[in-house]
Amino acid sequence: MAKAFGIINTTGNHIWVEGMQDYRPIGAFSFLGRYRVIDFAMSNFSNSDIDRIHVLAGSKPRSLTEHLGSGRQYNINSKRGNVQILFADNHSRNSIYNTDIATFDENMDDSIGKMKEPYVVIAPSNMVFKQSFKKLVDTHAASGADITLLYHSVENANEAYLNCDYVTLNRQKGVLEIQKNRGNEAQRDIFMGTYVMKTELFIELIGKAKTLSSMYTLAQIVNLSCDELDVRGYAHEGYFAAITDLKSYYDANMALLDIEKAEDLINDDWPIYTRTNDSCPTQYFADAEVKHSVISNGCLIEGTIENSIIGRGCIIKKGVVIKDSVILPDTVIEEGIRVECQVVDKHSKLLHCKELVAAADAPGYVRRGDTL
Amino acid sequence: MKQNNMLAMILAGGRGSRLHDLTNKVAKPAVSYGGKYRIVDFPLSNCANSGIDVVGVLTQYESVLLNSYVAAGGRWGLDAKDSGVFVLPPREKADADLDVYRGTADAISQNIDFIDTYNPEYVLILSGDHIYKMDYDKMLDAHKANSADATIAVLQVPMKEASRFGIMNTNDTGRIIEFEEKPPVPKSNLASMGIYIFTWKLLREMLLADMVKEDSNHDFGKDIIPTMLNDGRNLYAYKFEGYWKDVGTIDSLWEANMDLLDADCELDLNDSSWKIYTEDVTTLPHYVSADAVVKNAYITQGCTIKGEVTGSVLFTNAKVGKDAKVIDSVLMPGVVVEDGAVVTRALVADGVKIGKGAVVGSADSENILLVANDVEGVE
Repeated sequence: MAKAFGIINTTGNHIWVEGMQDYRPIGAFSFLGRYRVIDFAMSNFSNSDIDRIHVLAGSKPRSLTEHLGSGRQYNINSKRGNVQILFADNHSRNSIYNTDIATFDENMDDSIGKMKEPYVVIAPSNMVFKQSFKKLVDTHAASGADITLLYHSVENANEAYLNCDYVTLNRQKGVLEIQKNRGNEAQRDIFMGTYVMKTELFIELIGKAKTLSSMYTLAQIVNLSCDELDVRGYAHEGYFAAITDLKSYYDANMALLDIEKAEDLINDDWPIYTRTNDSCPTQYFADAEVKHSVISNGCLIEGTIENSIIGRGCIIKKGVVIKDSVILPDTVIEEGIRVECQVVDKHSKLLHCKELVAAADAPGYVRRGDTL
Repeated sequence: MKQNNMLAMILAGGRGSRLHDLTNKVAKPAVSYGGKYRIVDFPLSNCANSGIDVVGVLTQYESVLLNSYVAAGGRWGLDAKDSGVFVLPPREKADADLDVYRGTADAISQNIDFIDTYNPEYVLILSGDHIYKMDYDKMLDAHKANSADATIAVLQVPMKEASRFGIMNTNDTGRIIEFEEKPPVPKSNLASMGIYIFTWKLLREMLLADMVKEDSNHDFGKDIIPTMLNDGRNLYAYKFEGYWKDVGTIDSLWEANMDLLDADCELDLNDSSWKIYTEDVTTLPHYVSADAVVKNAYITQGCTIKGEVTGSVLFTNAKVGKDAKVIDSVLMPGVVVEDGAVVTRALVADGVKIGKGAVVGSADSENILLVANDVEGVE
């Protein structure tokens, strides 16, 4: 038996990606052309030999559950392992009650309470990074700490990672506090939404949170416990992106146009699994002009693409110019249209407009399935 | 067996020796094609898309890779409860010594026990080394409508080439009245595609009789079909229209890949209603650098292009370095063309490295150059 089971958490109510999140939770966002954001957490688990994974559905879970399917694409043993979706009643009239704790509690008797693994690793559904959870669990177990939190030191917390939590550490990497990043300082240790603790302690914390306040989240109850429990930080290195708004989603994609960075994040030693769409390769025609871009399969390209990420099955007609944009799968862009600094959501058709131009610090957004 | 009561048997034992070094280690059906596929993906995907649940794959020559490849039936969706892809190499039996498959018909005869466990009404016999999309369920409809004992798919070839094929001469209703193998003076241009539907009960009897015939080649074309015609059985031709290629040589394999660069190519691998399924690989999408030029190309995931690629097909994980040029060529999976190298009219085999500045192939060569070994760089 693996030492730990996994949970992939929902994002809290304080995070909302304008536009895109109307259609699906952040975990189901298309990422870097052929992936979904949740593939990174799922693959981190799978590559760490953790094959029993609970995924919190959150609201509008269709796209997420469809993508996860039976989970077999994640290289998880189909008998021994399993991927379980944790649904919860949605208090749509008062979203403050829609906390991760409420979902854990609702699924306690049937799922979480039955887990035999001594440890639990809770990972976020809106962050992209690679991390061996095996190493994290081993370090945690050896340290004797009650809870270990994964964090990433950044120098730009004043303009990015807004609405993420950050940890305040003492010299021994002890966590003193978890707080919201309001952008007051550039140097912060951003909390990566990843926790390791004993399963017993996790269950105990859920109970404690419920009795204290129906509004508490896991981060809040862990923060409250910092005084009495031994909570420690574990530093992450490498590519890290937290998707909390459209700009951070756009930036997270664009940063991986640095192909060495992308190859460091996704490679044969640490594969990122996703659900195949069985698309054929991409076809370039005589007029195609493609520079510094990541292109997925199944596209037909006759136009110009620069500094952009193109999802599966996009049709880019003659005379089209796409610059600095993230184009999601199955988009059609008709002749002569100019697209700059846009996030174009799935299945949209740009037919009649002449140009869609925004600036990189405030990328534009075309809604899913829209015809413009 | 629930969908149409037809079981498929794919003959995948051939070496494809005219593909030279490409088939030294793998059988022809396992040869890569079209950027991300292997040839055998086509009959297997056709089966899956035609509602066939059980497929036997008859392997023989260098079958290790092919066996493990086709055994993962889930790739083609052939892994439901009543479904599966079964690898059937020759095996030792209690009443006979271990023997190779002596011919196409013998390969089926030696697996009568396998077919019997499914007790199908019809058996579809396919070749594992052809590239085409075909709805076998429609062919079965024709077989049933004609109350045929056997239905043979035929392709209309140019009359002047007909003498290279097995030719079916039919009457007005499509009933086959004569079969001629490579006739010097062909009477028709209906070439057999090596795709047969048989009513199993009859075929079973014929195979049992053929097994013990001393002078038989145990071959469908040479023995079973002529015997059926002699016996006055109902054999019908089923006309296939569309893209079909038997890639027997390096030139024809190269050509079949080049066909994909044509926007009007009838094979249309982008058709979402008839997808060709294959192995799922976990590589990044492909990347085209700031200095790269890519025109008239067919490129799949895992490729990195920093140089110039024109008129070419790049397979999974092919890498093209800075200032390198790949012209009218096919780069098979994992090929690396290092900085400044030039590849023209070549088919570069799996994993081959073309060193810095090396020049291979030429624009005016008569035949396509097969590059099967690493080429050292030029300093």
